[in-house]
Amino acid sequence: MSATTLDPGQSATSHAAVAARFADVDAVYATTRDLRLLGFVLFLVSDCVFFSSFIFSYLYLRTAAPVWPPLVDGKQLPYLDVTFAAVNSVVLFGSGVTMHYALESWKKLKKGAFNGWMVATIVLGIMFLLGQAHEYSGALQIMSWTGSSFGATFYTLTGMHGFHVFIGVIYLSVLLVQANRGVYTGSKYFGLTAGTLYWHFVDVIWVALFFMFYLW
Amino acid sequence: MSTELFEKAVALIGAVLVGGTAVVQFRNELPLRSLDANVTKLLLGLMIVGCVLAFLAAINVLGVHSAA
Amino acid sequence: MDTVPSTLQRGGHDDPHDHIHPAPEGFIRKYVFSLDHKVIGIQYFVTGILLMVIAGAFAELVRIQLMDPAGTFMSRNAYNMMYTMHGTVMVWLVLIPLVTGALGNFVMPLQIGARDVAFPWLNMFSFWLIPVSAAVMFSTFLFGAPTAGWTEYPPISLEQGTAGALWCVAIMLVGVSSTLTGMNFVVTITKMRAPGMTWTRMPLFTWATFATALINMVATAALTIALAALFLEDVFNVPFFDAARGGSPVLFQHMFWFYSHPAVYIFILPAFGVVSEIIPTFARKPIFGYKMIAFSSLAIAILGFAVWAHHMFPAGLAPWLQIPFMILTYAIGIPTGIKIFSWLATLWGGRIQFSTPMLYMLAFLMTFTFGGVTGIFLASVPTNFHEHGSYFVVGHFHYVVGGGAVLGFLAAVAYWYPKATGRMLSEKLGKTTFWLFMIGLTGTFLPMHWIGLEGMPRRYASYEFIAKLYPDTVFWNRFETVFSFFMVAAVLVFAVNLIVSYRTGRIAGNNPWGARTLEWTISSPPPYYNFKKIPTVLARPYDFAEPLPYRNLDDEKIDLYPAPTAASLQPAAVGG
Repeated sequence: MSATTLDPGQSATSHAAVAARFADVDAVYATTRDLRLLGFVLFLVSDCVFFSSFIFSYLYLRTAAPVWPPLVDGKQLPYLDVTFAAVNSVVLFGSGVTMHYALESWKKLKKGAFNGWMVATIVLGIMFLLGQAHEYSGALQIMSWTGSSFGATFYTLTGMHGFHVFIGVIYLSVLLVQANRGVYTGSKYFGLTAGTLYWHFVDVIWVALFFMFYLW
Repeated sequence: MSTELFEKAVALIGAVLVGGTAVVQFRNELPLRSLDANVTKLLLGLMIVGCVLAFLAAINVLGVHSAA
Repeated sequence: MDTVPSTLQRGGHDDPHDHIHPAPEGFIRKYVFSLDHKVIGIQYFVTGILLMVIAGAFAELVRIQLMDPAGTFMSRNAYNMMYTMHGTVMVWLVLIPLVTGALGNFVMPLQIGARDVAFPWLNMFSFWLIPVSAAVMFSTFLFGAPTAGWTEYPPISLEQGTAGALWCVAIMLVGVSSTLTGMNFVVTITKMRAPGMTWTRMPLFTWATFATALINMVATAALTIALAALFLEDVFNVPFFDAARGGSPVLFQHMFWFYSHPAVYIFILPAFGVVSEIIPTFARKPIFGYKMIAFSSLAIAILGFAVWAHHMFPAGLAPWLQIPFMILTYAIGIPTGIKIFSWLATLWGGRIQFSTPMLYMLAFLMTFTFGGVTGIFLASVPTNFHEHGSYFVVGHFHYVVGGGAVLGFLAAVAYWYPKATGRMLSEKLGKTTFWLFMIGLTGTFLPMHWIGLEGMPRRYASYEFIAKLYPDTVFWNRFETVFSFFMVAAVLVFAVNLIVSYRTGRIAGNNPWGARTLEWTISSPPPYYNFKKIPTVLARPYDFAEPLPYRNLDDEKIDLYPAPTAASLQPAAVGG
């Protein structure tokens, strides 16, 4: 793609700049991609509001609780396992880095590297899900979903996040298959960009959950 | 080596590696100005914060709870 | 004035915005699963009106019950169902589909010079979620229907069994529809305006739709989660709101009202946009304070997120929390006041034509201001403690919703029906609708203020204890019930007008009102592709002294100084 020279003061997201970036591709794609990118980012914003609402409920109930972890049947619940969660977090963050490398490889038309990094991302994502399953199997023996506000908020929020990771793993797998079937080209690969943004988003939500449930 | 120590080591090394790489990627994205680049920068930045948190958890600065 | 910023220059036959897609074929593609924003807008309209009639019938049953202080017309449980379903259906299945789905969809893409919205398939999907949601909502009657009011606070809303869970599901479906529509509109307005249409050259209805879409996108997601939490507690016993297990019923109120307050701005902002379009046209004067009106829409959208707890003052909030909410609620009257004064200044010195749309707008200025002022009484914490849960609140919100959003909507239909169908509505029937509705509105909702202050509680199936203390409440309740039937009559006349004028109304032509926004430069009804060539916009549309500020219009014979045709403001053939 040719480098763009913009007039001073011209916004990089203006139609002219977008069209220039895709000057060697058809103008219809430039416009469509423009719309879809903004639409996808706004979808992530509303998804962020979803998580923020549940996070608000956790903050409200935790600050209102007389003790934390709260009492169930007279006994205080134990804290969660921080070190295991730290490992699982690093696994998920690592998958974000590999996803970024996958997209960069695609942009540089290195298909082999792309495939490698995508597989690594998907594997790390599945490892995270397995880690969560392990975490649940331990936590469910001590704390139920319905017994306390801790269980209610913890399982609901991490469950919603885990569901997003699960959907993400499927999404990335589909992208991998499509990329290898030639759906995307060196200059038309919006699906991969969207997948990367989604995956980073899921990562960042986990940062918030990791801090709130394990470190605070 | 106990499980906990092993986990801490993995978390520590992982956080440094992943966080360091993320910083490099973030630096590469900095000059780009399009919407997807800006969103990527924001999310990468927050992810780096996550790596810092994992690092602090691994060295017992954060996440150490005494029973209340 | 004549310049087009370089960033917005496009054109030439390679421009994708000039590309006209092939026409849809077949009945299903054209009228059922249509991707055309105009058809989808009409689908929302018809669905919304039908649901409004049903919700209105529920309200009439409530009013009949209240004629007798002993409340013997219905069982207590049935009465609770009636006001719950009236509120629920009106808020989520009538108002939201009508003002955002019908008005926003039909008018906004035409006003910005686009061929459609950014994501037509999502638009169609958003529409079809509404009938599905309505089906789920009415299926709750098979399980006893929800009975805890449209606000469905736990713990009482958790005792409704299947009806409560289905209620949550139905509204979550509307929530998805609303969020997608909001996102669709934000992308459309941000990216698909005609060349030369900078933000400050956009029509004010589009500004209003943009601000509404921002609220839609953010607030509705919060509602979905509030109801998801309620659903989880209802079905899986997850203790978000159960105080015995660490939950809190007040948490639900926070989560619910964080959406539901911005929701009322979703109702009213499009109506404000309609006012900003109709008043200049029928006063033949440029709108006063364009930028103030545009930015006040955004200010209301943002401030609207900061005031939700004024619905919860008696719930036991700490005083340090109540006072900021009180002050912010007062403050939100300021951008609204700016609009009211700007509209008054627009009328001042204008050549006013008392067409049906204009009558609605003049009434709007009075009824909405009145409703807003009673809102100030409710915003003050000490007076709120007296008024909360009384008919004062009911009077207030019906004035701002009925006298605000509904009047704006009726005006919009009167204004844009000729564009949608190519036929003029009957002025006589239109004015009859207007007067019947205004008499009904005033007679029904004005007395609610003073009987509310006397202590008449809302949601009570009987009110003998108040009738003993204040015997006039019996008279006024009966008065209100009688006058509510004027509104029923108004809706009937409105429906007759719509249906009959479709066949026998006077042919409208492109621009019966002599208005200046882009939708009036194309035929009525517009072709499926809207504009044969996307025009270039040179200035704001409201300066009646100047020629129309558009270039490259397909039909060069368009009148550059449009004035309403003498015939368009006279009674149409039907109804005299």
